[in-house]
Amino acid sequence: MSENGFEIFLFGKQTKNVSYKGDVKLFPTPESKIRLIFFVIKQSLELLINSPGKYFQISKIIFSRSPEIKNYILKAGLIFPILNNEPDIFHIQWAKTVERNPELMEILSCKLALSLRGAHINYSPLNDKVLAESYRKYFPLIDGFHAVSEAIAKESLRYGTVKEKIQVIHSSVSDDLLKENSELCEVGNEIEIISIGRYHWKKGYHYALDAMKILKEERIKFKYTIMAQGEIPEEILFIIDDYKFGDEVKIIKGMPHKELVNFLKTKDILLLPSVEEGIANVVLEAMAVGVPVLTTDCGGMNEVVKENINGYIIPVRDPKSIVSKIKEYTLTDIYKKKEIVNNAKNFIHEEFSREKQIADFRKFYFSLIK
Amino acid sequence: MRIGIVLPEAPKYSETFFNSKIKNLSESGFEVIVFSGVRNNKEHSFKNVSAYPVYRGRYFKQAVSFMYIIFKTFLIAPARALKLISKEREDGKNIADAFKILFLNAHIIHYNLDWLHFGYATMALKRENVAKVMGARAGVSFRGYDINIYPLKHPGCYEKLWKNIDKVHSISEYLYKKALKLGLSENTSYEKITPAIDVSLFQFKEDAGKIKNPLQILTIGRLNWIKNYETAISVMKNLEERGVNFIYNIIGSGDELERLKFAVYQEKLEDKIIFHGQMKHESINKVMDESDIYLQTSYQEGFCVSVLEAQAKGLLCVVSDSDGLKENIIDNVTGWIAEKRNPEDYVNKIINIIEMKDEERMEVALTARKRIEKDFRIEDQKEKFIKFFEN
Repeated sequence: MSENGFEIFLFGKQTKNVSYKGDVKLFPTPESKIRLIFFVIKQSLELLINSPGKYFQISKIIFSRSPEIKNYILKAGLIFPILNNEPDIFHIQWAKTVERNPELMEILSCKLALSLRGAHINYSPLNDKVLAESYRKYFPLIDGFHAVSEAIAKESLRYGTVKEKIQVIHSSVSDDLLKENSELCEVGNEIEIISIGRYHWKKGYHYALDAMKILKEERIKFKYTIMAQGEIPEEILFIIDDYKFGDEVKIIKGMPHKELVNFLKTKDILLLPSVEEGIANVVLEAMAVGVPVLTTDCGGMNEVVKENINGYIIPVRDPKSIVSKIKEYTLTDIYKKKEIVNNAKNFIHEEFSREKQIADFRKFYFSLIK
Repeated sequence: MRIGIVLPEAPKYSETFFNSKIKNLSESGFEVIVFSGVRNNKEHSFKNVSAYPVYRGRYFKQAVSFMYIIFKTFLIAPARALKLISKEREDGKNIADAFKILFLNAHIIHYNLDWLHFGYATMALKRENVAKVMGARAGVSFRGYDINIYPLKHPGCYEKLWKNIDKVHSISEYLYKKALKLGLSENTSYEKITPAIDVSLFQFKEDAGKIKNPLQILTIGRLNWIKNYETAISVMKNLEERGVNFIYNIIGSGDELERLKFAVYQEKLEDKIIFHGQMKHESINKVMDESDIYLQTSYQEGFCVSVLEAQAKGLLCVVSDSDGLKENIIDNVTGWIAEKRNPEDYVNKIINIIEMKDEERMEVALTARKRIEKDFRIEDQKEKFIKFFEN
């Protein structure tokens, strides 16, 4: 965006050193207590001089919610830099911000945009009634919503968004990946399946392992790899032990992106067994580099993968379907497989390119200004 | 006889297993001391000694406390302290770690005990040499997590424990066999003492054998991944697709609530599956009275007291084929066993129950109740625990 005529301001707590190319200005809020106090004093003086009305207004709003000075400092540290550098559009990246920092909605006079993605819309408010209520209260104050998928846009309607204010803008895949090609060939002695993604119940690895158990019982040779960073959850460790998997199931840590792509290209299928997603980037990347994808029909995945056209799609929470699709794939001839991966690549090129994403965001932001 | 029991914390009111076990031992003439990590404020009939606190992040305070406790321990029990350090060094620990282990056990080591019994296997870690050094016999009780899960993350964790334990107590044959696979010697003395219940608190319900429309299904248990509630929710989806009218009540709380509420939402079963959170015993009893089927889809259970209670009340039990549950329920006689991650299998059992006659269901419920009365009486369990320490 910064290379396409937009000036970007980044606000928030800085937890590590970062730098960005292009016209990107950082206004980081310090983490350490001492530095935060000095930061707040400086920002307060600046706001008092430039806009005393706003200073007193926001201070009143903060104190009306909590009289504690500690709370004031934390809020001021976050909000004052935004008021001192108020942009044309303030884009809230994660929906829970409206509950955590409602003052933003009450004080900012610029246009407000909000991204609808992930757990914040898909399942957190189902269990957290207070969160759901805060969405219903503050979403009407938002000028425009960016949704990562049609599915999440539809889900958000429960919490007070309106269709006319939502623009679906898909994420994108780098052009470099589209230039990559996987050596598609007949499945060897054993079908090699991979799942990539962080450890979380929504990733549905337990359903994938149920499917692998069935494959093992049916004496179908396979190798299944789960690649994820972090500590392996007890549930996954338990299932692998309980199902008495040997070498056929492997858990490996994540790798740098280039290495990951090369590793992915050596596999027959990328399996996404998730029970919930926005649109999984790893599926987009697999399609871009020519690795066949098998995904559950969760979230927005059916907006990307079309059965037997550019990939394979199955119901959620259904290990037997995973098994039958894998078996179907092993019997598919090489020409059909090539057709599927070519369709997948073309689809990503048309619908998920960087260019398209930038054009969509440009249109979205200008529609708010209008 | 003096028995020291090591637990993570002094048992709260709700932990009837430990409270009644300890009370029973006390009443039978044993002197019981509970060594716990944390004291709670409850009044107990037994002595409760808590571990010395660890001041995380407060290095100076920790250092002073450490030196004081070590000094005090050498003053009160010098021979034992030296012996513990020496044994830890023999086992390959460096001097710093050996002193840390002394600190961790400083609240126990100076007591004169006949038995030092670890309530859970994980409680024995970093304490393996303590009983010997005190001249006491060492015992340990097995529970599901410690035998099924902990060693997956820490392979070989109990090797030292097995060398230093005199007697083990398991709630099921299965847990004992698993411990053998983890390296426990077959020569180590072993006693199986299953959980037990006070059947007088679980009256056989008046309409046992009959089922209602909508069918009332119940599960009681914490909302933890090991209970495998997602499969239970898939079972309900399957039942709905097969035209069965039901209400599924889940009693319990835990960190899986968001995951499970999402599953219920995704399967569009919000008006049929109800999360009750935690409930008091009297309220649970009432819900059990109104339930037809008790469902337990756990990945694994040591034994499962809830299933015993459900059988005592006359609920028709459908449980997973986890090893502990296969000892709890006799398939097709006192309940039904299904493949743990196969929703269709559970559904077939439930539909089979629906299609049975009232008398056939009553026979199963009565057989289950009689078996509980005969083999899972709390009075017998009390006797067994006394014999465990006396023999």
